[in-house]
Amino acid sequence: MWRRPGESLVVGESIEIEVIEARPNRVKLGVVAPDSVSIVRKETRIIREENMTAAWSIDHGAIASLLRRFPR
Amino acid sequence: MPRTQTKFFGDIDYHADSVFHFPSGLPGFEDHRDFVFLHVPQSEPLMFLQSLSNRNLCFVLLPILVVDPHYRLNLTSEELFELDLPVEREPLIGEDILCATLICVAQGEVPTANLMAPVVVNLRKHIGTQVIHGDSGYSHQQPLVCEQAAHSCS
Repeated sequence: MWRRPGESLVVGESIEIEVIEARPNRVKLGVVAPDSVSIVRKETRIIREENMTAAWSIDHGAIASLLRRFPR
Repeated sequence: MPRTQTKFFGDIDYHADSVFHFPSGLPGFEDHRDFVFLHVPQSEPLMFLQSLSNRNLCFVLLPILVVDPHYRLNLTSEELFELDLPVEREPLIGEDILCATLICVAQGEVPTANLMAPVVVNLRKHIGTQVIHGDSGYSHQQPLVCEQAAHSCS
Protein backbone atom coordinates (compact mmCIF):
# COMPACT_ATOMS: atom_id res chain seq x y z
CA MET A 1 0.00 0.00 0.00
CA TRP A 2 1.38 3.38 -0.99
CA ARG A 3 0.20 6.63 0.57
CA ARG A 4 1.10 10.28 0.09
CA PRO A 5 1.14 13.00 2.77
CA GLY A 6 -2.44 14.00 3.45
CA GLU A 7 -3.75 10.55 2.61
CA SER A 8 -5.06 8.09 5.16
CA LEU A 9 -5.85 4.50 5.73
CA VAL A 10 -8.60 3.12 7.90
CA VAL A 11 -8.33 0.12 10.21
CA GLY A 12 -11.66 -1.46 11.11
CA GLU A 13 -14.54 0.90 11.76
CA SER A 14 -13.00 3.45 14.07
CA ILE A 15 -9.26 3.83 13.54
CA GLU A 16 -7.78 6.19 11.00
CA ILE A 17 -4.08 6.69 10.31
CA GLU A 18 -2.98 9.68 8.28
CA VAL A 19 0.41 10.39 6.76
CA ILE A 20 1.03 13.99 7.78
CA GLU A 21 4.57 14.45 6.56
CA ALA A 22 7.08 12.26 4.77
CA ARG A 23 10.82 12.75 4.95
CA PRO A 24 13.53 10.61 3.37
CA ASN A 25 13.97 8.45 6.45
CA ARG A 26 10.90 9.04 8.58
CA VAL A 27 7.24 9.85 8.40
CA LYS A 28 4.94 11.72 10.74
CA LEU A 29 1.66 9.93 11.34
CA GLY A 30 -1.59 11.09 12.87
CA VAL A 31 -3.88 8.52 14.43
CA VAL A 32 -7.55 8.90 15.26
CA ALA A 33 -8.84 6.13 17.50
CA PRO A 34 -11.25 5.58 20.38
CA ASP A 35 -9.95 6.39 23.88
CA SER A 36 -9.96 2.69 24.70
CA VAL A 37 -7.29 2.02 22.08
CA SER A 38 -3.73 2.46 23.30
CA ILE A 39 -1.35 3.92 20.71
CA VAL A 40 2.35 3.63 21.40
CA ARG A 41 5.44 3.08 19.34
CA LYS A 42 6.28 -0.61 19.10
CA GLU A 43 9.60 -0.09 20.84
CA THR A 44 7.79 1.56 23.76
CA ARG A 45 5.81 -1.63 24.26
CA ILE A 46 9.02 -3.68 24.17
CA ILE A 47 10.69 -1.35 26.67
CA ARG A 48 7.64 -1.46 28.95
CA GLU A 49 7.91 -5.25 29.15
CA GLU A 50 11.67 -5.05 29.65
CA ASN A 51 11.22 -2.51 32.46
CA MET A 52 8.70 -4.79 34.18
CA THR A 53 11.15 -7.68 34.07
CA ALA A 54 13.98 -5.44 35.22
CA ALA A 55 11.96 -4.14 38.15
CA TRP A 56 10.63 -7.42 39.44
CA SER A 57 13.49 -9.81 38.65
CA ILE A 58 16.18 -8.30 40.82
CA ASP A 59 16.68 -9.43 44.38
CA HIS A 60 19.59 -9.45 46.82
CA GLY A 61 21.02 -12.59 45.22
CA ALA A 62 20.98 -11.00 41.79
CA ILE A 63 22.74 -7.92 43.16
CA ALA A 64 25.47 -10.07 44.70
CA SER A 65 25.91 -11.89 41.42
CA LEU A 66 26.12 -8.59 39.51
CA LEU A 67 28.78 -7.33 41.88
CA ARG A 68 30.88 -10.39 41.16
CA ARG A 69 30.70 -9.47 37.48
CA PHE A 70 31.57 -5.85 38.11
CA PRO A 71 34.02 -5.79 40.99
CA ARG A 72 35.07 -2.37 42.18
CA MET B 1 14.81 15.34 56.52
CA PRO B 2 12.27 13.09 54.77
CA ARG B 3 12.52 9.37 55.25
CA THR B 4 11.54 6.57 52.88
CA GLN B 5 11.40 2.81 52.82
CA THR B 6 13.59 1.11 50.24
CA LYS B 7 13.46 -2.28 48.59
CA PHE B 8 16.97 -3.38 49.46
CA PHE B 9 18.39 -1.15 52.16
CA GLY B 10 15.71 -0.61 54.80
CA ASP B 11 14.60 2.88 55.76
CA ILE B 12 16.75 5.78 54.64
CA ASP B 13 16.78 9.53 55.06
CA TYR B 14 17.18 11.60 51.94
CA HIS B 15 17.55 15.25 51.09
CA ALA B 16 14.50 16.76 49.43
CA ASP B 17 16.81 18.30 46.84
CA SER B 18 18.16 14.89 45.85
CA VAL B 19 14.82 13.84 44.37
CA PHE B 20 14.66 13.30 40.61
CA HIS B 21 11.34 13.95 38.93
CA PHE B 22 10.33 11.86 35.91
CA PRO B 23 7.39 13.78 34.40
CA SER B 24 6.25 10.75 32.39
CA GLY B 25 7.47 8.04 34.74
CA LEU B 26 9.10 5.10 32.96
CA PRO B 27 7.24 2.89 30.46
CA GLY B 28 5.28 0.39 32.51
CA PHE B 29 5.57 2.60 35.60
CA GLU B 30 4.00 5.82 34.41
CA ASP B 31 2.49 6.58 37.83
CA HIS B 32 5.86 6.65 39.56
CA ARG B 33 7.29 10.10 39.07
CA ASP B 34 9.70 10.73 41.93
CA PHE B 35 12.85 8.74 42.57
CA VAL B 36 16.10 8.98 44.48
CA PHE B 37 19.42 7.44 43.56
CA LEU B 38 20.70 5.49 46.53
CA HIS B 39 24.41 5.79 47.16
CA VAL B 40 25.74 2.46 48.32
CA PRO B 41 29.54 2.59 48.23
CA GLN B 42 29.96 -1.16 48.71
CA SER B 43 27.77 -1.81 45.66
CA GLU B 44 29.52 0.46 43.20
CA PRO B 45 29.38 0.65 40.24
CA LEU B 46 25.75 -0.46 40.58
CA MET B 47 23.23 2.31 41.01
CA PHE B 48 19.81 2.05 42.61
CA LEU B 49 16.88 4.13 41.43
CA GLN B 50 14.36 3.91 44.25
CA SER B 51 10.75 5.00 43.78
CA LEU B 52 9.45 7.27 46.51
CA SER B 53 5.87 6.09 45.94
CA ASN B 54 6.43 2.33 46.15
CA ARG B 55 9.16 0.84 48.30
CA ASN B 56 9.15 -2.34 46.19
CA LEU B 57 10.07 -0.48 43.03
CA CYS B 58 13.80 -0.07 42.77
CA PHE B 59 15.64 -0.30 39.48
CA VAL B 60 19.24 -1.46 39.37
CA LEU B 61 21.38 0.36 36.84
CA LEU B 62 24.94 0.75 35.64
CA PRO B 63 26.48 3.91 34.25
CA ILE B 64 26.19 3.47 30.51
CA LEU B 65 29.90 4.10 29.97
CA VAL B 66 30.74 1.24 32.33
CA VAL B 67 28.79 -1.11 30.09
CA ASP B 68 29.97 0.44 26.82
CA PRO B 69 32.79 3.01 27.03
CA HIS B 70 32.07 4.04 23.45
CA TYR B 71 28.32 4.49 23.86
CA ARG B 72 26.86 7.20 21.67
CA LEU B 73 23.85 8.96 23.11
CA ASN B 74 22.19 11.11 20.49
CA LEU B 75 19.36 12.97 22.18
CA THR B 76 16.73 14.42 19.88
CA SER B 77 15.68 18.05 20.22
CA GLU B 78 12.39 16.83 21.72
CA GLU B 79 14.28 14.86 24.37
CA LEU B 80 16.57 17.80 25.15
CA PHE B 81 13.49 19.95 25.57
CA GLU B 82 11.82 17.37 27.79
CA LEU B 83 14.92 17.30 29.99
CA ASP B 84 15.15 21.10 30.01
CA LEU B 85 18.62 20.95 28.45
CA PRO B 86 20.00 23.52 26.00
CA VAL B 87 19.33 22.39 22.44
CA GLU B 88 22.32 24.16 20.90
CA ARG B 89 24.95 21.76 22.19
CA GLU B 90 25.27 18.10 23.11
CA PRO B 91 25.10 17.53 26.87
CA LEU B 92 28.12 15.93 28.52
CA ILE B 93 27.60 12.66 30.34
CA GLY B 94 28.79 13.05 33.92
CA GLU B 95 28.64 16.83 33.80
CA ASP B 96 25.26 17.91 32.43
CA ILE B 97 23.52 14.58 32.50
CA LEU B 98 23.69 11.18 34.05
CA CYS B 99 23.08 8.33 31.64
CA ALA B 100 22.55 4.83 32.97
CA THR B 101 21.21 1.55 31.71
CA LEU B 102 18.61 -0.60 33.44
CA ILE B 103 19.84 -4.05 34.35
CA CYS B 104 17.65 -7.10 34.00
CA VAL B 105 18.47 -10.39 35.69
CA ALA B 106 16.06 -13.03 34.47
CA GLN B 107 16.45 -16.22 36.45
CA GLY B 108 19.18 -18.51 35.19
CA GLU B 109 20.15 -16.20 32.39
CA VAL B 110 23.04 -13.85 31.76
CA PRO B 111 22.17 -10.37 33.07
CA THR B 112 21.38 -7.90 30.35
CA ALA B 113 21.56 -4.14 29.98
CA ASN B 114 18.98 -2.09 28.13
CA LEU B 115 21.17 0.04 25.88
CA MET B 116 18.29 0.89 23.56
CA ALA B 117 16.48 2.82 26.27
CA PRO B 118 18.83 4.43 28.80
CA VAL B 119 17.66 6.50 31.73
CA VAL B 120 18.87 10.08 31.30
CA VAL B 121 18.66 12.73 34.01
CA ASN B 122 19.49 16.41 33.95
CA LEU B 123 21.89 16.73 36.88
CA ARG B 124 21.17 20.42 37.39
CA LYS B 125 17.39 20.45 37.04
CA HIS B 126 16.80 16.98 38.50
CA ILE B 127 14.49 15.97 35.67
CA GLY B 128 14.64 12.46 34.28
CA THR B 129 13.30 10.37 31.46
CA GLN B 130 13.89 7.07 29.77
CA VAL B 131 14.71 7.74 26.15
CA ILE B 132 13.82 5.05 23.63
CA HIS B 133 16.12 4.90 20.64
CA GLY B 134 14.69 2.05 18.62
CA ASP B 135 16.77 2.91 15.58
CA SER B 136 20.08 3.36 17.41
CA GLY B 137 21.32 -0.14 16.68
CA TYR B 138 21.66 -0.80 20.42
CA SER B 139 19.94 -3.81 21.98
CA HIS B 140 17.40 -3.67 24.80
CA GLN B 141 18.90 -6.94 26.04
CA GLN B 142 22.65 -6.53 25.72
CA PRO B 143 24.32 -9.41 27.60
CA LEU B 144 26.64 -8.10 30.29
CA VAL B 145 29.96 -9.51 29.26
CA CYS B 146 32.71 -9.46 31.78
CA GLU B 147 35.56 -7.22 30.78
CA GLN B 148 37.31 -7.62 34.09
CA ALA B 149 39.77 -10.37 34.94
CA ALA B 150 38.31 -13.75 34.07
CA HIS B 151 38.47 -15.06 37.63
CA SER B 152 36.06 -12.39 38.80
CA CYS B 153 33.31 -13.71 36.52
CA SER B 154 30.85 -16.05 38.12
